Amino acid sequence: MSPSAPILEIRELNKVYHSGRDSVPAIGSVSFSVGRGEFVAIIGPSGCGKSTLLKIIGDLLEPSAGFVSVDGLSAHQARLKGRFSFVFQNPVLLPWRRIIDNVRLPLEVLGRHSREPEQLLQMVGLAGFEKRYPQELSGGMQHRAALARALTFDPQLLLLDEPFGALDEFTRDALNQQLLQIWQETGVTILFVTHGIGEALFLADRVIVLSGRPATVREAFKVPFPRPRPDALKETEYFQEVVKSLREKLE
Amino acid sequence: MIGLLCAWSAAEHVFHFNPIIMPSPGAIGDAFLANYRRLFRETGITMEESVLGFLLGSFGAYLVAIFFVYSRTFQQAVYPYAVALKSTPLIAIAPLLVLWFGNGLFSKIVMSALVAFFPVLVNSAKGLTAVDPEALDLMKSLSASRWQVLTKIRVPNSLSYLMAGLKIASSLAVVGAVIGEFTGATEGIGHLINTSSYYLETPLMFAGVFMISLGGILFFGLMAFLERKIVFWQEPAH
Repeated sequence: MSPSAPILEIRELNKVYHSGRDSVPAIGSVSFSVGRGEFVAIIGPSGCGKSTLLKIIGDLLEPSAGFVSVDGLSAHQARLKGRFSFVFQNPVLLPWRRIIDNVRLPLEVLGRHSREPEQLLQMVGLAGFEKRYPQELSGGMQHRAALARALTFDPQLLLLDEPFGALDEFTRDALNQQLLQIWQETGVTILFVTHGIGEALFLADRVIVLSGRPATVREAFKVPFPRPRPDALKETEYFQEVVKSLREKLE
Repeated sequence: MIGLLCAWSAAEHVFHFNPIIMPSPGAIGDAFLANYRRLFRETGITMEESVLGFLLGSFGAYLVAIFFVYSRTFQQAVYPYAVALKSTPLIAIAPLLVLWFGNGLFSKIVMSALVAFFPVLVNSAKGLTAVDPEALDLMKSLSASRWQVLTKIRVPNSLSYLMAGLKIASSLAVVGAVIGEFTGATEGIGHLINTSSYYLETPLMFAGVFMISLGGILFFGLMAFLERKIVFWQEPAH
């Protein structure tokens, strides 16, 4: 997208878990870069280390080797400066806080004020639900609140780990569209880990395909569909062919 | 309740229990009316001891629980003593406490505090640590300080566990105070129950037991009420 330097660079990332005398390699050697404002999807078989990779990028885990650079800073420095924003499969809303206060949480922790929580809730379609508690909201609505929360502090990198995996197909599609809309409006760089080949191809600019454990980059390619991408795209033959060929390649 | 009283009265008429061993509800009622001022006063004293001991023990336990979260060494050092304390029968400790802290209210408060301590400690420690790991990941990704994690995540999360512990501790605190009074006291409902049993004033003894049961029930009820108010986000267990 942008001709300037990539915002994220990952070089020969390696992660080995040691327990007693056993060592379990989770990530073999992963290298790639992500441009400013790009939407990159990471796919791979179950258990291949996609989540581990995301957590290493966001400095929630330490790699055994290799380095991560975020806009010139190390992952650790970037985390301390509040450059990352995570969205997990579980929305992790605090049940003792109202929605608006949940969305406000990062601002309290970081001590800075970037975007108005009310505005973000409006953007995700939850206007009027500010004073409610999370348990009063449906699963889809909770995920939208989690998205709003993820953006209040204007992160540089939005890291999503199969965020809508626990929802039904219709809600998931709606939320994916919501995510695309947010991405268009804010220009944030997105790393989206998913199981779904179709989902990855529908959402992303580029797809990075990981092999099984220990993970390495099998392929990285640009998604051939132009934007904007309406839901109808998924029904076209072209789309389904691309999905099919990628799926075959992975098996 | 009514049914029980009727059955009791009926059995009384049929079997003619020894009034010293098993007085009739009527006799208990008379004893109550004759001594209500004294009964309320003594119960009040015991409840005061219980509540103060409860507060002391609970507060201390919560603080210790917080330290447990942040220092494994501290936890490993202190926890065995807490278990030892809990395992030692109350009756065995009581005379020691009376010896150290005298015959007055204070020894009973300490007794209450000691029995209230363990359940609150165990529940609070659990509540402070049984946090969704993704919530902790979220806070870490925002580079939250340990204090922020404690106040924004751990403490609120612990409240449901804490209230469960407080409900248990409230009943135990009353027991603790009464046992303390049995061992050495000049006041309190336990003392009244003790002396009335010596003088074979069984109806009065029954009245005393009834009063302190009522006190315990009300205390527990208060905790249950507070639980619903404080942990408002939780589904009711029943």
